Amino acid sequence: MWEQVEQSLRDSMARVTTKVATLLPGILAFVVVLAISVAIAWLLAWVVRRILTAVKFDERISRGNSGISEWAPTYTPTIVITRTVFWGFLIIGLLVGISAFEAASAESGISEYVFTYVPHIIGAAILLLVGNIVARFLSRSVLITAVNLNLHYARLLATGVKWLVMVLTAAMVLDHLSIGGQIVDLAFGILFGGIVLALALAVGLGSRDLVSRSLEKEAVKPIEMPVQEERLRHF
Amino acid sequence: MARIEFPEETRRRIEQIGGADLVIGVAGTVDVQQLRQRAASALAGMPGKVVIAYSDASADAAQGSESTMTSAEFLPYPQDTLDPGSTPWSQAASAHRAVLSLAANLEAHACAVIHSDLGNFAPEPLALLTTPVRDGQADLVMPVYPEGKYDGLLNKCMLAPLSRVLFGKRVRYPLAFDFAVSSRFIPKLADANAGRGAPAAPLMWPVNLVATGDGIIEQARLAAQHTMLTEGLDLTAVLTQLAGSLFQEVENCAAFWQRVRASHSMNTLGIPSAETPTDVRPMDVRPMVESFSLATRNLEEIWRLVIPPVTLLELKRLARLDPLEFRMPDQLWVRAIYDFALGYRVRNISRVHLLGALTPLYLGWVASYATEMANASDEQAEQRVEQLAQAFEENKPYLLARWRWPDRMNL
Repeated sequence: MWEQVEQSLRDSMARVTTKVATLLPGILAFVVVLAISVAIAWLLAWVVRRILTAVKFDERISRGNSGISEWAPTYTPTIVITRTVFWGFLIIGLLVGISAFEAASAESGISEYVFTYVPHIIGAAILLLVGNIVARFLSRSVLITAVNLNLHYARLLATGVKWLVMVLTAAMVLDHLSIGGQIVDLAFGILFGGIVLALALAVGLGSRDLVSRSLEKEAVKPIEMPVQEERLRHF
Repeated sequence: MARIEFPEETRRRIEQIGGADLVIGVAGTVDVQQLRQRAASALAGMPGKVVIAYSDASADAAQGSESTMTSAEFLPYPQDTLDPGSTPWSQAASAHRAVLSLAANLEAHACAVIHSDLGNFAPEPLALLTTPVRDGQADLVMPVYPEGKYDGLLNKCMLAPLSRVLFGKRVRYPLAFDFAVSSRFIPKLADANAGRGAPAAPLMWPVNLVATGDGIIEQARLAAQHTMLTEGLDLTAVLTQLAGSLFQEVENCAAFWQRVRASHSMNTLGIPSAETPTDVRPMDVRPMVESFSLATRNLEEIWRLVIPPVTLLELKRLARLDPLEFRMPDQLWVRAIYDFALGYRVRNISRVHLLGALTPLYLGWVASYATEMANASDEQAEQRVEQLAQAFEENKPYLLARWRWPDRMNL
């Protein structure tokens, strides 16, 4: 019996070793291709950065009041383009690496599966990026406008708007990646609705006095208040 | 912003007129009949060939070619189609550019622009504005309007002192509706983009262009102050436009203003207007202080992107004060403005957001000023504004340091 156990262990060890030995060239090919891609991507990004710096790209863009810098002002246009070039080439390198892995290891079907799914991943990444930028921009816009309107729940409104956009983005990303199926739709509906309801309740309760005052104003003429603004002339 | 291309009809009329000694342009639409009636008295005794440029939405061009009781030529110019939400300043800037382009085409020796309310379309103010530029004593004559201590607050606290620091000229109204320009600077102002290598600000800042061109600037005390149609104008929208335009100028003229060491007073013509009774009625500043406090609680994450922690701490401390004790130190205000100017340049936050976040700070300054000046006369208020302008100058090294090494200061 022990001999049989020993034999089966030896067989499985041999199979695993053979498998690893079969995969090793593929892994090596993948690593080599990836390393070359990183080097090329880095080199190209460096060249692009040097060119953009030489032609004073940031200054030209800022002169033209570009929308890019309004929406994503943390990074300069040069950095955005340089990073796009770097990551673009890295992704291409990754795909080539997977292809090389498949060719070297004789594992069929991997690259086909990956290549079919890659556009979804890229689309989802773009969605996530745009959603983040839009959420931050809208949240700040709402916050500043609400503060300038003297609304005491300005932060609540801004946070609500931010989360609404983020939840919407997350649902779109998951849907794009075909993850979760109907659960995502359902969860999104509940979350989105919940946020809207919570905001409506919070703002409604917070503005109760304001609403009642404005209703009273229709019936009773308010006491004359001294108007200060007329004496202050800003312009 | 290139020089304006006029329609064929206007070009024919310019050729017909030939040239001019003085072009007087009315910035904005005006009632032609009223303009013609006023022209006879306003131009009485004015030497040389005068052309009056105007824009009249209802008049046809033929009407403009008629001559009435005055020897002046009337030249209608087409009004730019502006965004319905445009402010009086952008409308005036568009009209100023049109008038200056006409003057450039006519090769006029001098050009004066006046507000469409025709408040300064009278012999004395016209003489004060145009004589120095016609005689070659000055390249630009800017107005000094009579004003009370609570008038033109945005100009007092930001536009005038910042312009003074940048260009070294103590001009009271850098963003004026009336001014006169010599022939040397007419083409430069008509095409504000020429030679600057950067887009012109949407508003007209004649002082900046003349100062950078090494021109001579004088001021003229005018009797009429223009009533701004501020109804329906949102403070944040106007502040965004005016401050944004000036910050754009700060960026455009950085090479110039970094070399300016001190400011110089301007020769001011005319007699100061009579003293008006001092307004000592108490002012309720609580709403403005509350706006400021609300902003310090909510806008910290935005202010933090442009304002260094020390200044932010000072602002927070201010927000805890009682409205009656609320005083914003000059240095704090000045440095905050410099920080915002730098924030506008480095764009680590959207410019729309940056300028929107300036409104509560401005209201804080207004509250502080109004409390401090409650019992002060107009003259004392003027001294106070001068003190603030000096604070802008004293803190210029701070702006220079931040401008040159923006990353070093956020400590």
